[in-house]
Amino acid sequence: MKDIIKEPGRIVIPSDPTYLQALDDFLEETLRGFGMADNDVADVAISVTELVNNAITHGNMNDSQKTVEVKIVRNSDQVEVTIKDQGLGFNPGNIPDPLSDENLLKETGRGIFIVRSLMDKVEFETAKNGGTRVKVVKKFTPVEE
Amino acid sequence: MKLTDREEGGVVILEPKGKIMGGPDATILNERLHDFIKTDKRNVIIDLGKVDWMNSTGLGILISGLTTMRNNGGDLKLVNVTEKIESLLTITKLITVFENYDSIDDAVKSFKT
Repeated sequence: MKDIIKEPGRIVIPSDPTYLQALDDFLEETLRGFGMADNDVADVAISVTELVNNAITHGNMNDSQKTVEVKIVRNSDQVEVTIKDQGLGFNPGNIPDPLSDENLLKETGRGIFIVRSLMDKVEFETAKNGGTRVKVVKKFTPVEE
Repeated sequence: MKLTDREEGGVVILEPKGKIMGGPDATILNERLHDFIKTDKRNVIIDLGKVDWMNSTGLGILISGLTTMRNNGGDLKLVNVTEKIESLLTITKLITVFENYDSIDDAVKSFKT
């Protein structure tokens, strides 16, 4: 299994959900450093852990030799978070509607829907060298500068 | 996430604390819910008052618990749902699926009516 890499604005974790706590610690520390309010921090953390869960399970197929990279950048009044896996790509158009009666009681399938609800922008891209790159954007007003 | 449980009036009360985001913590909650069935405890309350937030993994565990309890003649009800989790339940329409109470007393009484 690969080692975790953590530096300002960037974390790389092996494809193992055990590392979600380290990811959340990194998100909290970075986002609070930007002066983000608790509610906005929670929205970003929910969304990013959601996308990293998907990257581990559906992208990297739980292969612990593959990694998920998360980068956070503050751009004026918004944060941009990029999540990149080493899988085979992902088509967000193929997701069933989680609100339909036949899907409402399913245990999975509502992650991307939640991310789209909480973030101001969500972009999916299949990278040229393989893997899926997801960029999410959240606008915010700092609680203190 | 930390998890404690107790029993009141024949009803199991589960109290997770922290964040439910997937990984080992989520597995613990899921397994605990299924353990209750094995010991014939089918009426469960989950007190969410100390849960900061959950993602879809947490919602999936709640649904799994709900369907497991109902399929075995019991039920799973929610108490002290925080604003953040209530908003997630609302946007996913799961607010229509779960019985939701403001106090443990009210939730326990609801199993007796």
